Amino acid sequence: MLRRLMTTGALALVLSTGMAAAEPAKVMIPANPCGGWDGAGRHTMAAFAQSKVFTDGASFTNKGGAAGTIGLAEFVRTSKGDDNALLVTGVIMVGGVITNQTPVSLKDTTPLLRLTNEYNAIAVPANSPIKTPQDFIAAMKADPGALSVGGGSAGGADHVMLALLAKHAGAPVAKINFVSFSGGEILAALGGGKIKAAISGASEFRQFAETGRIRIIAVSGPTRVDGLNAPTLKESGIPVEIGNWRGFVGAPGMSEAAKKTWLERFAKLHQTPVWKETLKTQGWEDAYLPGDQFAAFLKAEDASWSSALKEVGILK
Amino acid sequence: MDVLSQLIGGFAVALQPMNLFWALIGCALGTAVGVLPGIGPALTIALLMPVTAQVAPASAFIMFAGILYGALYGGSTTSILLNTPGESGAVMTALEGNRMARNGRGAAALATAAIGSFVAGTIGTLALTFLAPAIAELAFVFGPEDYFALMVLSFTSVAVVMGRSMVRGFTALFFGLALGTIGIDTQTGQTRMVFGTLELLDGVSFTVVLVSLFAIGEALYVASRSGTVPAAINPLSGGSWMTRQDWARSWKPWLRGSVIGFPIGALPAGGTEIPTFLSYALERRLSKHPKEFGHGAIEGVAGPEAANNAAAAGILVPLLTLGLPSTATAAVLLAAFQNYGLQPGPMLFATNPDLLWGLIASLYIGNLILLVLNLPLVGIWVRLLLIPRHYIYGGIVVFALVGVWGLSTSWMDLLLMCGLGLIGYVARVYDFPIAPVLIGLILGPQAEIQLRRALAVSQGDWGVLVSTPIATTLLSIAFLVLVVPPILARLRARPKAEPAISAG
Amino acid sequence: MSVNPGRQDARKPRPWWLGLGVLAMGALWLNGARSIASTTNYIGVGPAAIILAVGIGLTVLGVILIAQAMRGELVPAPEGEEDTPPSRSAFLLALAGVSIPLLTIRWLGFPFTAMLAFTLVTHAFGSRRTGLDLMVGAVLGSVAWFGFSRLGISLGPFLPLIG
Repeated sequence: MLRRLMTTGALALVLSTGMAAAEPAKVMIPANPCGGWDGAGRHTMAAFAQSKVFTDGASFTNKGGAAGTIGLAEFVRTSKGDDNALLVTGVIMVGGVITNQTPVSLKDTTPLLRLTNEYNAIAVPANSPIKTPQDFIAAMKADPGALSVGGGSAGGADHVMLALLAKHAGAPVAKINFVSFSGGEILAALGGGKIKAAISGASEFRQFAETGRIRIIAVSGPTRVDGLNAPTLKESGIPVEIGNWRGFVGAPGMSEAAKKTWLERFAKLHQTPVWKETLKTQGWEDAYLPGDQFAAFLKAEDASWSSALKEVGILK
Repeated sequence: MDVLSQLIGGFAVALQPMNLFWALIGCALGTAVGVLPGIGPALTIALLMPVTAQVAPASAFIMFAGILYGALYGGSTTSILLNTPGESGAVMTALEGNRMARNGRGAAALATAAIGSFVAGTIGTLALTFLAPAIAELAFVFGPEDYFALMVLSFTSVAVVMGRSMVRGFTALFFGLALGTIGIDTQTGQTRMVFGTLELLDGVSFTVVLVSLFAIGEALYVASRSGTVPAAINPLSGGSWMTRQDWARSWKPWLRGSVIGFPIGALPAGGTEIPTFLSYALERRLSKHPKEFGHGAIEGVAGPEAANNAAAAGILVPLLTLGLPSTATAAVLLAAFQNYGLQPGPMLFATNPDLLWGLIASLYIGNLILLVLNLPLVGIWVRLLLIPRHYIYGGIVVFALVGVWGLSTSWMDLLLMCGLGLIGYVARVYDFPIAPVLIGLILGPQAEIQLRRALAVSQGDWGVLVSTPIATTLLSIAFLVLVVPPILARLRARPKAEPAISAG
Repeated sequence: MSVNPGRQDARKPRPWWLGLGVLAMGALWLNGARSIASTTNYIGVGPAAIILAVGIGLTVLGVILIAQAMRGELVPAPEGEEDTPPSRSAFLLALAGVSIPLLTIRWLGFPFTAMLAFTLVTHAFGSRRTGLDLMVGAVLGSVAWFGFSRLGISLGPFLPLIG
C-alpha cells in the first residue's frame, strides 16, 4: 500500500513540475550554449522583452552540430505549422546545408528576415610588406602557395571569401593556401608572424590592430567599419562582399497571419533604442532585410556558395 | 611598486562585503559544478550570463573566477572517491587518487589535492599578477611546429600510464585516437568516419567519452561485482589525514605542477589537460617510490592537481592581457566582458583598473575561500560514501544522463554513452587502462592539426618541424624520455647480473 | 561487441572476441582511409593519413590481442579487496538502467526517463524499495529538468507523449 502511494506520489510530482509554462515564442538555436547563434537568439529575445515589443517570453532549445543543420532538421521535423516557433539561422547554415547535402534545407522553412551581420576583415602582421588590398591580390597572383592565409574552418565564410578573392585575382582557386584555425589561436599566429595573412570577423581583429600587433588592410562589407582605418574591398575595386549574417526563419507551414505578425514585431524592434544598444554591445552591424527580399537573398546566397564551395574543392 | 599599489586597490574592491559574497557564491557553485560529470565551468558561466545582467561587472567576474577555480577543486573529489572524474583536468587525478581512496587513504588524497590546488592557484595568481605581460608574449612565440613538438613530448611521456601491459595501453591509446578522428577534418572540410550520420559530423564529444568510460563503466562494473551482496560498511570511509610523510612527498610535486601548469595554460593552444599529463609523468619518473605508482602514490595526486589549477590561472593571462581566449571557459568569459561592452586587453588595464585588479585580487581570496571551504569538507565528502551504494550509483547515472543529454539533447550521444559505457566496463574487467583513451582523444586531433598547419605554412617542407629552438628542444626531450629510461634500467640491472626486464 | 560478464568457471578465460573487436575497428578505419580523397594540397599529409595510421595500429593490436587470448595470457583484472563473484543479473539490470533512455527519452521525456534509469540502477545494486526509488529518481530528474529550463537550457519536452 505504502509502496503504491509512493509510486503515485512520484508520478504526481513529476507531472506537477511540468505545468508551469505560458505561451511564449519557441526559439530553436542550432548551436550549443554560448557562441554566435546562441547570442543572436537570446539577445534578440531579451531585446524584445526589454523594449516591451513582445513580452510573452521565449523558451530556447539548443541543438548544436554540423553547422546548424542538425538543429534545422529537428526544427523542420518537430514544429510544422507552429506559429510561435522560430529558428535562428545564418550564412553558416546555408553553407552547411550545401556541404552536408542534408535532406532538409532552409527552403522547408518560412523565411522571416535577416537581422544582423558581422563583416570579415583581412589582416596581416604589423611588419608585413602587404599594405593594401591590391598588394594582397598581387601576392596571391604571384604565388598563391606562399601566401598562407589563416581563417576558420574549411568551407566556412573565411574560406569562401579567400576563394572569391583568388577568383578575382585570376589565381587558381585550387592552389590557395588556406590554413584553418579555431578560437583565439589565429590571432596569436598572425601577431607572431606564423602566417602571412588572416581572414576573420572584423571585431575579432580590432583590439590587436589598435595595439599595433597586426594591420587590417580591408573589410568585406558594403561600407567601412566605424573606428577601423581600412577600406572596403569594393572601394578598392574588388567586387567581393561577404559577411557572417544571422536572422530568423519560422516553422514550415507557418500561417500568413503569424508571419505578418512576426515581421511587424521585428520591424518595431528594429526601431527601438534597446535594439540599437544591443547591436552596439554585441558588435553587430545592422542588416535588417525582411520578408520577400530576405527570401530572394537566401536564394542568391545559396547559388553563390554552391559555386564557391565547388571551386575550393569542398563540394564534389 | 606600481603593480603592488594597484593590487592593493584591487583588494579594496574584492574585499567589499558584497563582492566577498559573490566570491563565496561562485566558489560554492564552482565546487558543485566540478563534482557533476559533464557540466563544466564554461557551461555554468554561459548559463549564468543573463542572471548577471543586473550585477555590476566587478561582482560578476569575481563570481565567475570563483566558478573557474571552484570547478577544479570539485573535479578532484569525485575522481578520488568514486573514480568518476567530473572534468577533463581531473582524469589523471583518478589514477592514483582512487587507488588511495580504496586503500582507505581518501582523506589524505583529498587533502593533498585541495592544498595542492591552493598552493598552485596562489602561485599561478602571483605569476599572473607580476609576470602576465611577459608570459603573454609566449603566445606569439609558439608556432604550429612548437605545439606539435609539445604534443609529441606529451605522447612520449604518458607512455608511463600505459598500465600493466604495453599492448593494452596502446590499444586504449589507439582507441582514443580513433575516436578523435571522427568528424569533419577542419583543414580540408572532408568528413571522416561519420558513417553517414549528421550527429557525428562535429566529432565525438569529449564530455560524452569522459562520462561514459568512467562514470557509466564504473557503475556497470561495481554493480556486477557487488550488487547482490548487501552493502557493507564502505571500506572507503574514514581514513587518516595527511601524515608527515605525505607532506614531505607532496610539496615538491605541488611546486613542480605549478611550474608546468602555468606557462602551458597561458599558451593559446595549451589548455588544462596537457599539464596534468606531463606532471603525472614527471612525478612518476622523479618519485622515490616508483613501485607505488598504480597503487596509490600521493605524488600522482599532488602534481596533476597543482598543474591544473596553475593552468587555470594561466588561461587568464592571454585573456586579460591580450583579449585572447584559449579555452572554452576563457571564450565564455570573453563573451561576458563583451556583454558589459568591455574588451579585455592592455586597454582595459588602463580604462578599468578597478575591475581587472579587483578580479585578480579576488583570485587570491577565492583560492583562500576554496581552501577553507574544502579542507573541512574533506571529512564530509569521505563520509558521503556512507550513503547506500545504490543511491550513489543511481545518482551517478542520473547526473551522467543530465551531462550527456543536456549538451545537445542528442539521441546519438545517448547511444554513444551506452556503447562507450560497455567498453569502459570491458576495459575494467580485462584490466585495460582508461586514461590513455582520453589522452589519445585530446592529444591526437591537436597533434594532427598542428602538424598539418605547420606543413601548410611551410608548403610541405618537413624541415619546419625542427626549425625553431623550442621545437628542437621539446623534440629532443621527447626522444630522451623515450630512450633513456630503458638504457638506465639495463645499466642498473647488469651489475647485479639479473636479466633486464623492461617495463611491460 | 558482445559482452560476457559473469564468467564463473575456473578455466582460463580466452576472450578472443576482444581482439576481434579491435581488429574489426581497425578494418573499419582502414576501409575509411580508402574512401577519403587525399587532397593534400601543400600539406603533404592529407586527411586520410591519420585514419590509415590508426587503422594499421588497431589491426596490429587486434592480432596481438587475439594471439594473447588464445595463449591464455589475457586474463581479467585480479580481484583484490572485493572477493565477490561477478553477478550477471546485477550487470544486466544496471545495463538496462543505462540503456533505457534510448527507448524512453523521446516518448517519456527526461524526468520520467531519469526516474526509470535511477530505479533500475538502484535495483542492480540490490535495492528492493521500488516505491522509494521511483520517488527519489523522479525528484532528481524533475529537479534537474526544472533547474535547467529555468536557466534557459531545455532538456527536451517534459512529457513528449502529451505534447
